[in-house]
Order: sequence, then structure tokens, then C-alpha cells
Amino acid sequence: MSTFIEAWQMVLAPDVLLAILLSAIYGLCVGSLPGLSATMATAVLVPVTFYLSPIAAIATIITASAMAIFSGDIPGCLLRIPGTPASAAYTDEAYAMTRKGQPELALGICLWFSALGGVFGTLSLIIMAPLLAEFALSFSTYEYFWLAFLGLMCATVVARSSPIKALAAMLLGLLIACVGIENPAGTPRFTFGFTDLLGGIEVIPALVGCFAVAEVMRAMSVPEPPQLARRKFGSILAGQWKLTKEYPKQQTRGNIVGIIIGVLPGAGADMAAWVSYAMAKRFSKTPEKFGTGHPEGLIEAGASNNASLASGWVPSLLFGIPGDTITAIAIGVLYMKGLNPGPTLFTEKASSMYALYIIFMLGNIIMIPLGIIMIRLATHILRAKRYAIMPVIVLLCAVGSFATGNNLFLVVTVAAFGVIGYMMEKNGFPVAALVLGIVMGNMVETHFITSLIKSDGSILPFFQRPVSAILAAITIGLLVWPLAVWLWRKRPQQAPAAA
Amino acid sequence: MNIPNPIMGGAIAVLGAAAAYGGSLLPPVPGQQVGPNVFPVLIGLGLVACGIAIACGIGSSFEQPEEVVAAEDGSHAPAETAPPPVPYGALKTAVPPILLLFYALTVDSLGFIPTAAIMVAVTCFALGGTVRAAIGLAIFAPPAVHLIFAKLLRVPLPAGLLPMPW
Repeated sequence: MSTFIEAWQMVLAPDVLLAILLSAIYGLCVGSLPGLSATMATAVLVPVTFYLSPIAAIATIITASAMAIFSGDIPGCLLRIPGTPASAAYTDEAYAMTRKGQPELALGICLWFSALGGVFGTLSLIIMAPLLAEFALSFSTYEYFWLAFLGLMCATVVARSSPIKALAAMLLGLLIACVGIENPAGTPRFTFGFTDLLGGIEVIPALVGCFAVAEVMRAMSVPEPPQLARRKFGSILAGQWKLTKEYPKQQTRGNIVGIIIGVLPGAGADMAAWVSYAMAKRFSKTPEKFGTGHPEGLIEAGASNNASLASGWVPSLLFGIPGDTITAIAIGVLYMKGLNPGPTLFTEKASSMYALYIIFMLGNIIMIPLGIIMIRLATHILRAKRYAIMPVIVLLCAVGSFATGNNLFLVVTVAAFGVIGYMMEKNGFPVAALVLGIVMGNMVETHFITSLIKSDGSILPFFQRPVSAILAAITIGLLVWPLAVWLWRKRPQQAPAAA
Repeated sequence: MNIPNPIMGGAIAVLGAAAAYGGSLLPPVPGQQVGPNVFPVLIGLGLVACGIAIACGIGSSFEQPEEVVAAEDGSHAPAETAPPPVPYGALKTAVPPILLLFYALTVDSLGFIPTAAIMVAVTCFALGGTVRAAIGLAIFAPPAVHLIFAKLLRVPLPAGLLPMPW
């Protein structure tokens, strides 16, 4: 009980409350601007969190990402341009409701069910994380190695591109993580004589480059999105309670699917929304209404993407394995603030964990009033020109990355990763896989080398413990899956030719 | 900039081979068979395999066409039916990284405010902003960012030619 009271004291500190409020406004504004993703909003915030207390820093990341995910629904609903990839699954449905003259209802559904989904996701985090933490305490380096490797493999399988390219992106991330002296022997590795590379490639400038600079580069070559016509909205929450009672099954299913996908390493809110929308249509009694402005899919997918956001923190907090790109950034912040992820976090820093749960709850509750204000201001914010926002983002990328280490080499790192991220995305390589590789590289290598030293160079112990054998089987299955699918697809083409 | 799969795959395979070779030259942990050499060698070999697979076109059937906003109402269309791109779009994409390098090279001599003003104005122009918008943004954005980072967050931003009063 005293831990719980201590957690409330941490959250109610003025700096934490101010951080929650400001990051909520920031997340709502950035998420609503087409082309600026929730990940980018979070990445740009990281240098600021460097100067905040640990709880305020985590509160900033949690609140900004949750708000940005909801806020991405606003341009999707009003302009048919999803503000964030997580809104893309149901943009057509929401826009169809707007065309039917029901923008208030569509935006209300997005807001109300996002908040409820967020609360359910937080409850899952509260229930699941301590139970899994107890189980994880018995894990050795073998299990950790397979778990981390499985996380990386999931990132390649769920990517909406060629699994081979996703695998290459992940390996490239691991190779980047090899740079520096942070290796089992402390030997300078791939530093080419540059002292700036001795400390390795900093994760935060790499993330800022891949997500923010690459986004600005992309904006340079695509036309400005169309402007939103001025309009006045009626009551946003009217009719939401009726919908909650009318579609309990869809809402529950959306929450559960969101939670499961969130826990899966590498799969984030966007995948949760796509899967839930497809499920809503599959199990609907009126699937023909989908795409015509029907609330069913919107409820299920809206609940799902925000539920996944909180549950994505389960593998991140327990094993340091990111649930998605936002938690990949959050892990960097956790390490920076001395809250090193792992099962012991729940025993040694229990009050911080409770504080984190409270922040998640608060974030989802204040989403409703702030979201209503945001929807009412949307016609003004969405009229902001790209040429007025992007230059400030470039400047923040430079100053923010410099601030993480007071070193101009970090600005060069941001520029380099901007180019890498842009080129990769243009050529069908998923940037998320690269980022997960960079974030998890040291962890995978440490567990791998420690396990090899423990086993005197033998790889048999990697498969001998029951849990590690199961994890190994799943990981190897995911590794050979693209090859199996490729061979399967080749088969019917050859059969008619032979006939 | 789209690079053909055989060239991209070849480059990845070469990078992987170089990483594996470079890794193999590293010494193991004293008294152990393994060390910092193992991981880069494995990654390098993995990259070689991926590079060859990409060059051979394996897995390309999984790729989905890039979706872009095409129509006036913001509707999405596949990249093949997209409208003509922004003039000099390919050149303009190089602007943000070049400006970041410019910042790294000149901020110590010019100072934060002039360097940031140039960056902001050029980015604004490149994105189609007017002269008035670019100048306005260059006047107001850098001091605001300086105030937040230098004064409130204590980041040592160089004063250079134009020191700020705070």
C-alpha cells in the first residue's frame, strides 16, 4: 500500500502533471497533422526527456504517443488522410461517415473507444506484467537470447514488405549495434579509427534520423495534402454510450486482439487496427455495410490500436524487447533514466511501475476532454502549412540530437540515418526492423556470447532447457517461414507447366 | 530513389562479406574461444545470404505497392497512378540531410541563431513557402528554440555572431 501511495506522490508532482498536460497537447497536435506519425512525435520528444525526472520523462512518452494515436483519426475522418499509420485501417469507414453528415459521431467513436481501449490495455499491463515477471525471473541467458531473437524475427514477419528485405534490415540494425567498444572484450569494433565511433552509434539520434528526418525528406517530394473546409461540430460524445451497449462484443474483441498484438514484439498499433478491422468485417452480421460509414469496424479497430499501445509495454518492461517502434524509443528513455527494463524492475522499483500504470490511466482519461477540444480546434490546426512546421522539425532534430551528448557528431549521425531511413523505405526495407536491430543488438549479443562462454562453445544447451527449446523452435520456424512460403508459391506455377 | 533489386542485393552481400571478414579479424575474449568476433561474422553471413536472395528476387512477391495521396479529396491511389511529383523533388529530398551537415560544420563559427535561421529559411523555401513566410519563420523560430534549449534545458548552444540576451 505504501508503494502505491508513493507512486501517486510521484505522479502528482507538479513537474510530472505539467509534463503530462504539455505532452498531451503536443501529441494531439502532431498526431493530427498528416504525415507526422506518433513515432516521429515521440522521437522528437526524446531529447527533451533527457532533462526531466524519470517519471516525468516516461509520462511524456506515454501521454504523447497515446494522444498522437487517437489524434491521427481526426484528419483520417475529415480529410481521408490518416494522421498516423495506426488510423489507416479504418480511414475510409470514418470518412464515409463524414460524407453521410456524421463527422461528430465518427470522431466521437474514435475518441471514446480509443480511451476505453487504452484503459483496457493498461489493465492488461497491470495484470500480465507482474505475473510474467515472476515467470521471467527463472529465465537464464539462453531464454533471453531466444526471446530477444524471437522479437527480432516477429518484426520481420509482420512487416508489410518482403520478409527477406525485413531480415536484411534487421541484420543491418544488428551490424550498426556492433560498432564501438561495447562488446564482450571491449575491443574497438568497426570504428575505423574515429574516436567518435568508440562509444558506438547512439540509439536516439539514429531513431530521430530514421523517423523524423526521413519524414521531412519524404515531404519534400510529395505534394501538400488538401486543406480542410471550415466546419462546426455538434456534440462529440452524444450517442457513444448507446453504441457501447449496442456493440459490446466488437469492443471486447478489439481490446483483446489489440492487447495480444501489442504484446507481440515488433507488432504495433497499426497492425492491431488492420487485424481488428478485418475481424470486425469477418464476424459482422452486416458485412455489406462496411465501407459505407458503419460504426462496427470503427469501434473494434479504434479500441484495438489504443489497447495495443499499453500492452506493447509488457515485453518492453519485462525483457527490454520493444513491442513496437514507440516502445523501442521508450526503452532508450528507460535506460537513460536508470529504470533498466527487466523482471527485477517490478521488485526493486515497484513504486515507479505503479506510477507508470497511473500515468497510463490518467493519459487515457484526459484524452476525452482534451480530445474534444482538439476536435473542435481541428479545422484551425489542420490548416497549418507544411512549410511552417517541417523547418522547425529539422531544427529540433539538429538541436535535440546535439543535446543528447553535447557532440556535433550526433547531428551528423541524425543526417546519415535520415538518408538511410529514407532510402530503405523507398526501396521496400522496413525501417522498424532496422530500428529494432539497433535497439536490441547489444542485448542479443551479450546473451549470445555469455551463453556460448557458459556452454564452452557448444550450441546444444541453447535447445536443452524446455522454455528455450520452445522459443528456439518458434524462432527457427519464423526464420524458415519466408522460404517455405516462397517454395509453396512456386509449386502451383510449376505444376501446370509440367502438365 | 529506387535502386534495382540486383544492385541493392549485391551491395548488401558485399557489405555482409566485408562485415564477416572484418569481424573474423577481431581477437576473442582472452582465455575463451568466443568473443567480439562471433556476432559480426554471423551477421555478415546472414547479410550475404539476404543480399543474394534479394538480388535473385526471392520474396519480392510479398511487397505491396506504395500508397500515396492522389486525388483532391485526399483519396489514396497506388503509386503507378500517382500525379506527377513535385518539381525537383528528388533534389529537394537531399535538403534536410545537407542542412544538418551544414549545421554540424558551421554552428561553432557562425553561432546558433544565424545557422538555424539559414536552415529554417531554406527548408521553408524547399517546401514551397513564400519569401515572407521563410523570413518570418527564420526570425521567430530560432530564438524560440534557443530559449527552450539553451535557457530552460541548459544545452550549450554556441553564441557565435549573434548572442542572445538571455
